[in-house]
Amino acid sequence: CDDMLSTTDPTKIDKNLFFKNAKQFEQAVNGVYGQLQGITNVAYLWGEMASDNTAFDFNPADRGGAAGWEAIEYGTVNPGNGEISGLYNSHYAALYNVNNTLERLAESELEAAVREPFEGQLKFFRAYYYFNLVRYFGDVILLTNTLKSYNDAYDLQRVPQSEIFAQIEKDLTEAVALLPAAYTGQAGRVTKGAALTLLGKVYLTEKKYDDAANTLREVTKLGYSLVPDYADNFNPARKNGPESILEVQYQGDNDLGEQSNFSYVFAPRASGGVVTGWTTVVPSGRNTPTNDMMAAYETGDKRKDISLKSGYTRDGTFFPVPYVNKYNYPHTIAGRTNSNWPVFRYADVLLMLAESINEQAGPTAEALGFMNQVRERAGLKPLSGLSKEAFRTAVMQERRVELAFENHRWFDLKRVMTPVEFAAFMNAHGARERANPTVTRGSIGFSDLDYVFSPFEYLLPIPAQQILINPALSQNEEYK
Amino acid sequence: AQRQILEQRVSVRLSSETIESALKKLERTANIRFMYNPVIFPAKTELSLTARNEPLGTLLTRLLMPYEIDYEVSDQHIILKRSRSKPIPKERKTGSADRTIRGRVSDESGGQLPGVSIVVKGTQRGTVTGSDGGYELIVPDTATVLIFSFVGFLMQEIRIDNRSSLDVTMITDQKSLEELVVVGYGSQRKKDITAAVSVINVKDIGGVPPSNFTRLLQGQAAGVVATQRSGTPGEPFTVRVRGVSSLGAGSDPLYVIDGFPVGTSIGQNVNPHDIESISVLKDAAATAIYGARGSNGVILITTKTGKEGKAALSLSVDYGVQNLPDSRKVKVLTGPEFAQFKYEVFSDRFLFDKGRLPEPNEIPEGIRHPEQVTHTTNWYDAILNSNAPYTDVNLNMTAGAGPLKSMLSVGYYKEAGALIATNYDRLSVRSNLQGTVNKFITMGINLNGSYVKTNYASTNGRDAIAGSSLLLDPREPMYDDKGVLRPYIIGKDGVFAYPNPVFALQNIDRNTGIAELLGNGFIELSLAKGLKFRSSVNTRLKYDRNSQFVPSTIGVSLASGSAGAPPRIANASESNTQLANVSTDQLLTYFKEFEGGHQVDLMAGVSAQKEKVKALFGNGSDFPDDLVPYLGVAAIRSAGSLEYDWSILAYLARANYSYKDKYLLSATFRREGSSRFGSNTKFGNFPAISAGWRISDEPFMPKTNWLTDLKLRGSWGVTGNNDIGNYTHLAFMRPENYIINNTIAPGKVVESFANADLKWETSNKLDIGLDLALFDNQLVLTAEWYKQITRDMLFSIPVPSASGFTSVWTNLGRVENKGVELAANYRVKIGGVNLRTNANITFNRSKILELRGEDTTPIWSGSFYGGQHVQKIGRPIGMLYGYRKLGIFNTKAEIEASPLQDGAIPGSMKFWDADGNGEVTYDTQDMVEIGNPNPDFTWAWTVAADYKRFDLNFMFTGAQNYEMYRAIEASTMNMDGVFNVLDKAKDRWRSPENPGSNPGHKNSQGGTNFWKWGRESSDRYIYDASHAWLKNVTLGYTLASRNTIFRDARIFFSVTNLFLITKYPGNNPEANQRNERTEMGFDDESYPVPRTMAGGIRINF
Repeated sequence: CDDMLSTTDPTKIDKNLFFKNAKQFEQAVNGVYGQLQGITNVAYLWGEMASDNTAFDFNPADRGGAAGWEAIEYGTVNPGNGEISGLYNSHYAALYNVNNTLERLAESELEAAVREPFEGQLKFFRAYYYFNLVRYFGDVILLTNTLKSYNDAYDLQRVPQSEIFAQIEKDLTEAVALLPAAYTGQAGRVTKGAALTLLGKVYLTEKKYDDAANTLREVTKLGYSLVPDYADNFNPARKNGPESILEVQYQGDNDLGEQSNFSYVFAPRASGGVVTGWTTVVPSGRNTPTNDMMAAYETGDKRKDISLKSGYTRDGTFFPVPYVNKYNYPHTIAGRTNSNWPVFRYADVLLMLAESINEQAGPTAEALGFMNQVRERAGLKPLSGLSKEAFRTAVMQERRVELAFENHRWFDLKRVMTPVEFAAFMNAHGARERANPTVTRGSIGFSDLDYVFSPFEYLLPIPAQQILINPALSQNEEYK
Repeated sequence: AQRQILEQRVSVRLSSETIESALKKLERTANIRFMYNPVIFPAKTELSLTARNEPLGTLLTRLLMPYEIDYEVSDQHIILKRSRSKPIPKERKTGSADRTIRGRVSDESGGQLPGVSIVVKGTQRGTVTGSDGGYELIVPDTATVLIFSFVGFLMQEIRIDNRSSLDVTMITDQKSLEELVVVGYGSQRKKDITAAVSVINVKDIGGVPPSNFTRLLQGQAAGVVATQRSGTPGEPFTVRVRGVSSLGAGSDPLYVIDGFPVGTSIGQNVNPHDIESISVLKDAAATAIYGARGSNGVILITTKTGKEGKAALSLSVDYGVQNLPDSRKVKVLTGPEFAQFKYEVFSDRFLFDKGRLPEPNEIPEGIRHPEQVTHTTNWYDAILNSNAPYTDVNLNMTAGAGPLKSMLSVGYYKEAGALIATNYDRLSVRSNLQGTVNKFITMGINLNGSYVKTNYASTNGRDAIAGSSLLLDPREPMYDDKGVLRPYIIGKDGVFAYPNPVFALQNIDRNTGIAELLGNGFIELSLAKGLKFRSSVNTRLKYDRNSQFVPSTIGVSLASGSAGAPPRIANASESNTQLANVSTDQLLTYFKEFEGGHQVDLMAGVSAQKEKVKALFGNGSDFPDDLVPYLGVAAIRSAGSLEYDWSILAYLARANYSYKDKYLLSATFRREGSSRFGSNTKFGNFPAISAGWRISDEPFMPKTNWLTDLKLRGSWGVTGNNDIGNYTHLAFMRPENYIINNTIAPGKVVESFANADLKWETSNKLDIGLDLALFDNQLVLTAEWYKQITRDMLFSIPVPSASGFTSVWTNLGRVENKGVELAANYRVKIGGVNLRTNANITFNRSKILELRGEDTTPIWSGSFYGGQHVQKIGRPIGMLYGYRKLGIFNTKAEIEASPLQDGAIPGSMKFWDADGNGEVTYDTQDMVEIGNPNPDFTWAWTVAADYKRFDLNFMFTGAQNYEMYRAIEASTMNMDGVFNVLDKAKDRWRSPENPGSNPGHKNSQGGTNFWKWGRESSDRYIYDASHAWLKNVTLGYTLASRNTIFRDARIFFSVTNLFLITKYPGNNPEANQRNERTEMGFDDESYPVPRTMAGGIRINF
């Protein structure tokens, strides 16, 4: 009789019956990668839109629906912002699967040769996600295991950033040891190079310039190189090329549901099919390059025309609504693009290396050489004779244009500035936008608080809902 | 059957018993019912008789012969009447002093009534109607009044006047205490019931268009609230028995058809004409026998069965039309008014920005000359179907001659919706057969096949048809220059674009087809005296099909977040779902009556049920054209399938004991296991006990002629609720794929928290009831007090997302519901008018006692921009939260003098800084309780009157003192000028000098210059939804005919939803687009509820 009452969902596998063999572990690890897509799909909101690089194609007719994005652009976010809640939740959802798979892996009897690459990839992801969280929110809840009961979640508290950075360094150091330099027939997986790049970036963020330089130098020994044509980094026909250290993989042109749609998200709202090539999917008009960004390119920079366009022509009329062009490639099914998203490129490594060496030892020839490799590929003259301070400015400028629209800008600004400096910088940018908006605003003026930044906005607020249900959780200063 | 009844062997001992008690004993022993007029027995007759294994026929002859009483088997009854051979002596004809009166007696449905006793008042003279209900009586010329009486019907005294023919309709004595009431796993005499049970006789309801059976529950029983969320054809009403008792699990009652627990919904397929009666089980004593599914009440549906006697055929044909009355249409601006509004919005904004009014050339050309706009399109009117017809045809045949009784029915119902291009059709066939094989074996089978098809539309919410037709630009024409319907209305001057709702209704194809087969079969064995075994098997097979096709010609609305004029990518979806549900019951019952007035009635059984659902679905998009909407031709296709099942195994028992009908005791117990819970917690126990005390039978009660019955009863018991998903206690892996090396790489992630301890939600229920019958059942009153506490609620609660998940199913918290129900039934004859009236009123109060252990944090749901529902300890379920509006800011100075409200400008609503921190924060912290969607009380009042051949029936329903959140006004009162707005927008705040007629009013509208502080959840959107609704009026006329083709016929005319008295501004004060448990009272515009006018005829052949 008990048999009659023991039913299970025939369409799914019970968690307790899974994690039994290498194939299932591979699926569990792939699942963690799968969650990376969702996180990457909205990462531009902060990585770019919150910074001076991009604004968005303001829609005077639809204010209510766009309120969450407007708040990010204008620096008026509050703890109730739904985008931030999604950001926070999706990171912890992915971390659960990292932790759970690591726990199951530890109990498993898989042989080391099979287990270690899995473990390395998972530890990389744990580090990557915590690195994101700590940069978004400052102190956050740190969990390296799964909770036995949901009840335990109501007492979780945030821990100081230093503890989180310690965990990130530990995970990455272990991942570097566990991961292979390359896989056979596994393009898209996290490699030793990716772990080293992330570790270098972490050290740089912590201003541990020695460690950063040493770690990043390791990457240069792994056979990466700049591709001659900058555009190849984004061309779906040349995915995972020699410059690529880690790309989020997408695949369009089919029914598998693994496509990207960045070109639609970024194309101007009213551009119809002129930009994307398909009229049947309406573009969203977000992540619009600012006037400031368009002016940032030196004359002759080959990257500008690849990365952005200053407007589009529809029915013979030119509309000056700029858009990100990097990810805009032809595809065979409306709304389903084939573009990967670059997370780490070798160019980033070279520029980080140049920056760390400059901070550590000044503008040495080695540092200059790394930066000039990137400039020369862009068709620009090499720089020389810079002071340490000038080098610092030059490398930031180079990062801005080389890595434009790849979600580095907001973090780079916060990395090199104090909260007070960051607020001042953003207020200056805001003043320029208010005076000369990148996109026309119809008859609607700016609100008083638009583009007014305070130092506390250096960090995002902890989502209100999380504090409502867990009073042990503190809010970032001044967001209360 | 007649012979078989009379041939059954009976053993009985009667010693000097009154007629009543002797016949009652015989009724129980032989499982028969007598019908007789007590006057046929001489006064103070005492019967004595001993029989052992004697055929009933000979026993009756022996018993009744001495009194010159004959018997006759008719229609399940044995009718006793004065012997034909010895009729009441006709007085010698004394010439013209006597005259003959002829006539026919029928019941309310027009059926012939044999055996009705007719006596000339003040004499011994009388007769009994024959098998066709006819009679002939010679009366003295001096006679003035005839008395018609029959057990089970009200006695009637009718003046003869000068008539020589007199037809009489007998009225059922509904509250007859002998009436059998269907209860869980059996039936009981109403008199013996100690639980809270309401009975609805369908034939008393009148001419309500029965599109869905749940409509029959409206207003009929205290404690049962049936609300109509929208006017979608065929859509079931929301039914709540004694409130909402759970925050997380379902709150729908369990529906049981002819003993088959079908589930928490019976869908759209049951033909209401096939239903004979409905019992609503309310307290634990009545519902605990259904264990884990009893918490929300149980609704027992009994379908019609064959009647003893000759074959009968009845045909009914109803035809009606539906319209939305002007008084219930939402009024929006006309084209010229909207043009003026657009002009004013621009100039108000200009004045605010620049401090002066604009020059004509500064005004955009499209809105510069409002006076030139003359065109108006009333989009809302355009989507309404005027005089939408419905037709309801039913043919019903019964036969009961021989050992087999049968009922066959065919019904066809066709309804065009109140919105164009929506409709509902139902075809149903039912066959109920029951027969006696021999004296040991009875068996029966009920089969119901039905098919429903609907064409429907996406109608709920502001982006759907009803909402968008209010918001569309009224200046825009419906047709283009060539007279062709415009598919898409591209917004001009900043007005949002929408697909033309008429075009969308006509061109988007959404349809369903549901085929259903319901079967019940049973066999009953009489094992020994009083001991019976009954085995039954029930099945439900349901096949659901849904197809949708959105052609490329439909544009995308701007309000949905992204706009696009057609063409769009055409898309289609199809799904097929098969459901198979099988249940089986094995029941053993034993009845015994002991010396001295003790009676015992026992039942024990096993019940098992299993349901399995399989579905297949596919989606396709990117069709080469709009002509062939089949998935096969779509360029992009995807398919999926699903499967789930659940099962229940239960052991149940009941014991009823009574002593002299005065002291009644009942106990039930069910132990039930469900597949929906973890292995540690699969089984639950559900006991209940109840007791009744018939005070009126106590010797200390004075014997009066007005007190017929007084019974006090009480019950306590435990019921459960398992209405959650099927596998909630388990955690599964969900696909989350990736691409590795340019190839799909299957991935999986954990979907949810497992909760192996997930268990039953239980309710402890206490009920005290008083039944009072006065003046020979003329006035019957029932009063009921109840209190129920639900604990270990099945609830999905928010979990800190750092755990990896945002919610988990768990058992937590407690909710209390208590209330009072009053019902009164009164019938009186005033002159020639038979008047019956029935009123009931229900007071229910819910209170959340505990949420998550010590954590008192309220549970929020909803959205910052659209009404927040909050579950908070100490408060009722589902309270509405938002900012409290204090008025409208007139000046900058006023804003500066108030707590900081960032972004506020003159014309902004002024909100209350509830937490007193000096700032109205732009989040939920200053939100307070602004409305209660739970009515103080709900009520219903029915009046029925017959006069001669006319009958008239009214039904009012109402609910008092509750609030609704009229969410659509965030759009229909959006002052940005992107939508058309309500007529009352003309009275908005425009400037300090021109602030509208009543800016201090709670629902007043602010200015046009802002978008912040306008649409957030606030009491600006709260309206009192108290209402009284004249739900139905029916006027009927009965044609009696001696024509040989048909026996009689009734024609009627009825109006449903005739008028509504309410201050609520929306179409329907019962609308809701959120969940019906914890988020009531949220109105974002839905399918309107129409008024229906119908006429019909019923012919009995």
